[in-house]
Amino acid sequence: MKLYTVKLLTITCEILAQKNIIEILKKHEITGYTTYEVDGNGARGLRGQGLQTEKNVKVEVIMREEKLQDVVEEISRTLFANFAIVLYVSDVGVVRTEKF
Amino acid sequence: MDILQLISSNLLTPIILFFLFGIIAARIKSDLKIPEAISEFLPIYLLAAIGLHGGIEMRNTGFENMLIPMLVAIGLSLLFTLNHYQILRRLGKFNIFDSYALASTYGAVGAVTFSVGLSFLKNQGVTSEGYLAAILAVLEPVAFIMAIFLTNMAVSKQIRQKKESVSKDDTSDLDMGIQETKTKLSQVLHDSITGKAIVILLGSIVIGYIIGEDGFSSIRIVFDEMFTGAIVIFMIEMGIIAGQRLDDIKKVGIFLTAFAIIMPTFNGIIGVLVATAMGLSLGGAVMFGLLLASASFIAAPAVLRHSIPQANPSLYITSALGITFPYNIIVLLPIMFAISTIVHNGEGSIDLFHYITKDWI
Repeated sequence: MKLYTVKLLTITCEILAQKNIIEILKKHEITGYTTYEVDGNGARGLRGQGLQTEKNVKVEVIMREEKLQDVVEEISRTLFANFAIVLYVSDVGVVRTEKF
Repeated sequence: MDILQLISSNLLTPIILFFLFGIIAARIKSDLKIPEAISEFLPIYLLAAIGLHGGIEMRNTGFENMLIPMLVAIGLSLLFTLNHYQILRRLGKFNIFDSYALASTYGAVGAVTFSVGLSFLKNQGVTSEGYLAAILAVLEPVAFIMAIFLTNMAVSKQIRQKKESVSKDDTSDLDMGIQETKTKLSQVLHDSITGKAIVILLGSIVIGYIIGEDGFSSIRIVFDEMFTGAIVIFMIEMGIIAGQRLDDIKKVGIFLTAFAIIMPTFNGIIGVLVATAMGLSLGGAVMFGLLLASASFIAAPAVLRHSIPQANPSLYITSALGITFPYNIIVLLPIMFAISTIVHNGEGSIDLFHYITKDWI
């Protein structure tokens, strides 16, 4: 089986930033992503307790390397200052590279 | 009427006791927790019950009397929001974003506070005008929209000043900024009008109006008799969340703590007096005051995080939920009730004003 290397962008952020992230992805013509609700602890304290709006989500997006730079740049520029957010990139192998 | 006695008897109602119990449970780090689905469901239920009641009342009494109180409420809410902003910015030295976010949090209304108020009145055997539910719905987005508009104006003004100092002819970025402000505002307007709180509230008002007392009798057990019980369950949750935030109150600072107590008192008492002057009933005046006194803590974060992300959410959530909400339901509600009782049993001058406004309608 041949695996093609693409990038996995993982963003853990407060749930209210999710919409902004999805919008940025859309702007860069990325429509596929996975989100799930998570909780944890970080610079802005224990997250995921209390009000619904204070939860965290994890957004996972697989994309080609060409788009990665721009997406990461825009997320850092627009969201890093004001939201609880952590972002990292890893290499993953996929079978059907044409999907991404 | 002895205010202290009213406060202490209010303190011993199930709603307040369960709220305090929730705080204690959080403080002793109990794992007590209302399941998520239920705490998400309860606000919807409460708003549906408020809306149904309002709709039925409006069918009985008609809603031609509603227009003036509604416009006055909107006017006062906007005025208070501006007033909050000036106080926070000038006296409190908060930055522009925090000032606007806090100003609108306190200018907006709290649906949970409203429910507690209704059940307080029920406990006292007093009714209130049904159209207040409609005012609750209309008032919900008003303060936010203005604060967001003003914040964006202030930001684009700053951008413009920067631009002018750099180059005189390049205005493309500015135009883009104004365009962005417009889309942001229409987005907020759309989001808040189609938001679940307003949709369920307005929907229930309409349904209540259609079904009337007769249709309501078949669902009375759920939407009337269970109302206070449901608030009690929700109060456990509110108590837990407030309790978890008690430590944050220290971070909020003395100024904001004082603001979170003094402003609602001022706004609420003005609300009671204005409502009385407009001819609202004893209970109606209390609810009108409560609308203006309450701060939003469920809708506020969702709206403000998007529209004014620069503002620190823990400031406005903690002060609204940790300080103002308990103060409103424990202390201010009985105070407003006492004031409303006094002004309703008193002078004829208020009645005179009522006759004048009646002629307008």
